[in-house]
Amino acid sequence: MNKEIKISVNDLKISFRTDGGKVQAVRNISFDLYKGETLAIVGESGSGKSVTSKAIMGISAGNAIFEGGEILYDGQDLMRIPEEEMHKLRGDKIAMIFQDPLSALNPIMRIGRQITEAMLLKNKANRKEGRVTFNKTLAEMSDIMKKAVAESGNTSISAAEIDKYIKTFDNFNIQAIKLENSYNESRTAAEEMIAAIEDLLFLTEKNQKVDVASAISVIRRKLKDINDKYFTSKYADSLKGHAAALDSAIRASKKNTGKGAAKNKASAEVVEALEALKQTAKDMVEQPQYNFFRIGYYVYKNPETDLSKMPAEEANELAIKFLNENFMDSFLALVKIAVQYSFNKTIENKKAAIAELENAISFFKAGSFSAKDADATWKRANQSVLAAIDPLAVVKDNVAYTFGGAIEREVDKYFFYIKNNPKEEARFARQTAQREALLAKGKTVDWKIVPKSVIEPEVQIETIVSVLTRVMNKFKADVENALNFDVDKHCIDIIDYLKAKASQVVYTLTKRIAKEKAIKLMEEVGIPEARMRYRQYPFEFSGGMRQRIVIAIALSANPDVLICDEPTTALDVTIQAQILELINRLKREHNLSIIFITHDLGVVANMADRIAVMYAGKIVEYGTAEEVFYNPQHPYTWALLSSMPDLDTNEKLDAIPGTPPNMIYPPVGDAFAERNKYAMEIDFEMQPPMYEVSPTHFAATWLLHPNAPKVEIPKIITERIQRMKERGGNHGE
Amino acid sequence: MENNHEVLLKVDHLCQYFRLGRKDLKAVDDVSFEIRKGETFGLVGESGCGKTTTGRSIIKLYNITSGNVYFKGQRIGAGTRAYKDAITNARADAAKKIKLLRAEKDADDARKAEIKEEIKKINEELAETVAKNQALLRDAKSDSKLVDKQYVESLVKSLDEEYAKKFSAAEGDDELLKKLKKEYTNRIRVAKKSKLITQIQMIFQDPIASLDPRMTVRDIIAEGLVINGITDKEYINEKVYEILEMVGLVREHADRYPHEFSGGQRQRIGIARAVIMQPEMIIADEPISALDVSIQAQVINLLNDLRERLGLTIMFIAHDLSVVKYFSDRIGVMYFGKMVELADSDELFKNPLHPYTKSLLSAIPLPDPVYEKQRTRIHYNPIAEHDYSVDTPSFREITPGHFVYCNDAEEKKYKEAVK
Repeated sequence: MNKEIKISVNDLKISFRTDGGKVQAVRNISFDLYKGETLAIVGESGSGKSVTSKAIMGISAGNAIFEGGEILYDGQDLMRIPEEEMHKLRGDKIAMIFQDPLSALNPIMRIGRQITEAMLLKNKANRKEGRVTFNKTLAEMSDIMKKAVAESGNTSISAAEIDKYIKTFDNFNIQAIKLENSYNESRTAAEEMIAAIEDLLFLTEKNQKVDVASAISVIRRKLKDINDKYFTSKYADSLKGHAAALDSAIRASKKNTGKGAAKNKASAEVVEALEALKQTAKDMVEQPQYNFFRIGYYVYKNPETDLSKMPAEEANELAIKFLNENFMDSFLALVKIAVQYSFNKTIENKKAAIAELENAISFFKAGSFSAKDADATWKRANQSVLAAIDPLAVVKDNVAYTFGGAIEREVDKYFFYIKNNPKEEARFARQTAQREALLAKGKTVDWKIVPKSVIEPEVQIETIVSVLTRVMNKFKADVENALNFDVDKHCIDIIDYLKAKASQVVYTLTKRIAKEKAIKLMEEVGIPEARMRYRQYPFEFSGGMRQRIVIAIALSANPDVLICDEPTTALDVTIQAQILELINRLKREHNLSIIFITHDLGVVANMADRIAVMYAGKIVEYGTAEEVFYNPQHPYTWALLSSMPDLDTNEKLDAIPGTPPNMIYPPVGDAFAERNKYAMEIDFEMQPPMYEVSPTHFAATWLLHPNAPKVEIPKIITERIQRMKERGGNHGE
Repeated sequence: MENNHEVLLKVDHLCQYFRLGRKDLKAVDDVSFEIRKGETFGLVGESGCGKTTTGRSIIKLYNITSGNVYFKGQRIGAGTRAYKDAITNARADAAKKIKLLRAEKDADDARKAEIKEEIKKINEELAETVAKNQALLRDAKSDSKLVDKQYVESLVKSLDEEYAKKFSAAEGDDELLKKLKKEYTNRIRVAKKSKLITQIQMIFQDPIASLDPRMTVRDIIAEGLVINGITDKEYINEKVYEILEMVGLVREHADRYPHEFSGGQRQRIGIARAVIMQPEMIIADEPISALDVSIQAQVINLLNDLRERLGLTIMFIAHDLSVVKYFSDRIGVMYFGKMVELADSDELFKNPLHPYTKSLLSAIPLPDPVYEKQRTRIHYNPIAEHDYSVDTPSFREITPGHFVYCNDAEEKKYKEAVK
């Protein structure tokens, strides 16, 4: 298995502020999600499985308090990055499928619009962002070039010349964008025309009533858009020919069938003409791509020459030769100087930042600081960290970028909670007095006192220090790896980065194309007659189909990580099996990493590569699916397995007595102790640590302690495992 | 339970249609089955196949379209649609025939007389059918009233006998006699109000939605008694406490509101509400599907306990097949309003005959990763699977106690398969 870690959750702790006090929903859980695997989180409701997944998505409820820990994705701590950063990840990189498909869909919006909505918005945002980044990076590069040249004492290149280079680069990129834009417009028109033709053909084939005249007029309009544009002119003649054929076909069909019939149904001749037109348009759309970056320069320098008649490969070849000889080689040399300079500088800055961070760590560790001092310290640290960011780095250092905001929030939280709150004090004193008075009278008191503060200052300081330490460690690692820096590769990377940002501006997604994409997606998730259903409302779909729509929406952004929060609980067995098969197939095809949350062990066995069993906000057992099912170690896992009947169960079920504990007052010891038949005294006094059963299998129970009495796994489970093994053997395991 | 064959509930060609614009939605279409005393009858199928509707039709939450429901041999529900349809059809048929006969213009006198005779015969036949069906119609209508009347009569009779003995025993003791008399009048009043249908009670799927949030648990549980005319507060309280303890709650819970309870406890309240009426039969409509895994087992065990202690008969509607298999003696499988297979639960899981049952069984997820990775689901496509164009299918017995919805060809095939 590929062991690349996608998401890593460390020591996560989340509580909720409620009227009754602080509910500790998640208590110090840690797990890793590997690339391309399914991690199932099992537990009853209230065990904190949904809270964890929502924290990963950054959609926790308003009264949630993050008390500590981190969720690392791609080097960023999802708990601490600002909302704008989270916005870029949510749905885009990490998508979620919710339990109830009906409440996850908008009831008054057509399905099609719901699927394309995100695509269109994302496209718009991308284009805007690309332009801004391109300009910013280019400006920074020019500054650094000038500085680097000035400092190296090289007089062969003047600042004016650098400006000229940058200007040329900028200008021909703009030229390239213009060319690509116009080409894309033409292409888009062609794609839209294909879609319109397909729509018309589909309706005709299904014998549905269709307004042929207006459909044809749309096709004609699109056809006109194509002819005017660059780089498609070699198709212009044949397109014109097809258009003429279409016209005559329409005339012929009018003559043959009379006006009325031709209006409602495309005749055979028209269909034939449309098919031919579609084929040519498809050829055009699928022709080899022009490299507009290269051609942009050529056209910028030689505005009179027309490359559009040339085949794509030839034009690309010619253009790159011209580009390298006249501009790129010398420009790359300049970039190289700038990159090296900037890198050296940041390494120096990083060294300074490490010292500053060490300073800050010792300051916060000491405790008992004033708000003013704390503010000054973190601001100084933040300044040095910001200075240590390489402006020419291709992969943005998110940890450093978001450092300031994260640390500010943590420090603010610290001061917010240690502040004395007279109201709260009074309430606490009153409750204590009441309780003690009752106890003094010898009465039993079953209520407990709501604790005073919601966050312990020590824990908060630990969190602050851990944020600082993480950035420091990262910088240290960077400094150590400085010798391995590959300047040439980096130069190419940065040019590619600029190119990518420039072309990001170009790609416009129109509604029609988004529709085609959505229909493809709907077909992929197994919705029949997608073109027809595209225009329906959610209530017109059955439960299973609705869940497919939700999955299609989640997939529309091509995410890395998919979180499935009980996606099949609202569905019945046959549909459930279909949806699980679908998710498994999509996982293979898209190489997704999946966090699968459920309480149904049968479903888990089907889906999971690894399983984490949660109880009362803690992971009690953690291992591969085979290990957890065939060799369960924690009494809660035993109880779960034995409380559900399988097809061979006849004896009385081993129900788990009682209900989960109230998490406002979590038990001191093992949370499961009260419902556990095998509980020992220590279970009520101390929380068990995670014991290692095998390198991939862990369980938190005192039963695994070397001094613990030997406890047999309940008979009902051993028998079942025996049966399962026999059955597995029959299948030829 | 095996050798007890007394039929408690008999559902006979039950149809439940809902009006849906011009067309009918056939939620339950011609379903027949029997439930024996003391057994648990499981009803499975995907959502929308009509299992809940069947349960609700039996308990008369809907007026059934056609068919009969017998409880303890008494007809408690009867649909009139079939009779009405028969009358209209007969009339239309007769009219058509007569019209055809009258159309013969060039007939001679002999033929004319013949035609006259035939028309007369047709009209007679028509009158006969109409009269027969109308009688059935009247029967169906009056039966529902009669059932309760008879039930009340029998109750009153047994009460009379009981108290006659008590009165004679208490002869001479005026005070006791007075007390007994008061008790007797009270009980007679209650008995006169009671209905046979209260012998069947229902447990609903959603424990949150099925409990009135503004009533205390005591009110909720006692509501049935109060409606039945019991006014004695003490008696009600005693009864409520007894039932609460029976379902695993405590007396103190009686004065709380539903929102103060967890899901499992709420479902226990729902069960208590059903059990307090001392029913003979309980229809449990997915009582555990809204509950947590660890709580599900508690509720199943509770229902099992109650069944043994009170000798209940349970009709268990669910879609979780492993639970149904565990809990039921016999299982009926429904598909789109039809009952497609009915057998003992072991038999059904061992020898599923109908392709839909096979597909349903192949979709059960089991807590066994190795098996799960090899499990292949059988797809069910009714159009490809069955050819009902020539001979129409019906519900037939393949082996004793194992019924399948099939036609002649399929019956032969299934019989082969069983051998």
